Amino acid sequence: MDVSVEEKIVPEAKAKEIFEKEFMPHMDAMYNFALKLTADEDDAQDLVQDTCVKAFRFIGSFEPGTYAKAWLFRILKNNFINDYRKKSRGPSKVEFEWVEQSISGEDEFAEPAYFADLHAETVQDMMGDEITAAVQSLPVDFRMIIILCDLEEFSYEEMAKILHIPVGTVRSRLHRARALLKEKLAEYAKKKGYH
Amino acid sequence: MKSSCEHHHACMKVIQRIIDREATPEEEAAFLENKNQCMPCQEGYALELSLKKAIQSKCSVKCPDQLFAKIRAKLFLLLILISILIPLFC
Repeated sequence: MDVSVEEKIVPEAKAKEIFEKEFMPHMDAMYNFALKLTADEDDAQDLVQDTCVKAFRFIGSFEPGTYAKAWLFRILKNNFINDYRKKSRGPSKVEFEWVEQSISGEDEFAEPAYFADLHAETVQDMMGDEITAAVQSLPVDFRMIIILCDLEEFSYEEMAKILHIPVGTVRSRLHRARALLKEKLAEYAKKKGYH
Repeated sequence: MKSSCEHHHACMKVIQRIIDREATPEEEAAFLENKNQCMPCQEGYALELSLKKAIQSKCSVKCPDQLFAKIRAKLFLLLILISILIPLFC
């Protein structure tokens, strides 16, 4: 039996082999990304399952030897935007404002004063839950780029392909995401009495 | 050591590229040499680096074991469906 796909027919055994060898090693990363996007364990599991089924259906368009992780993340991101994002809240006003500013490049690398008191040592002292909560509180577009860059270590070019945005927008969005994250951590540090 | 940086915005751009491994070796070398004489650049670099490391070390979760089984079961079902449906259309 063969797996029918858009571009070519892949024999079932070959499709299974590609899936096990190329896709399964990225399940932890995919689940982590899905969990950060949906903020719900069940939704994250559903999103990963749907992504895997879609990846398997379109396995013929995957070139063995190319970067499977980036290909899978692109499918996962599209799945999230098309299906799961609608279920949850739409993007907030803040989200639009920040993304719009990042696209226009308006004063993109200005350093706001609000996190002037945040130091490297403070961040190192923070607990995992505190960092995770701050990341989780970011608008989804910013959360997405932080995870792709800092956790999964994709290059700017790979992120541009996954997110379907220009590399310049990757740079500015990343900067704004980090600025917002530092703002949240600075507020948190102040509240908790970190020095 | 300088207590203010007149190129801070430009330096922040370079810092971002360095910690993301997107800077050229020349850019990185020039920045690292300057960093030792500039307090804002030194602090900015340390903060950005600590933030990236904190995310890497503190924001990872493992995929639940049962998810692997669920995915394999779904694919098995998909293959059965394909094996039933394809002969109907061929």
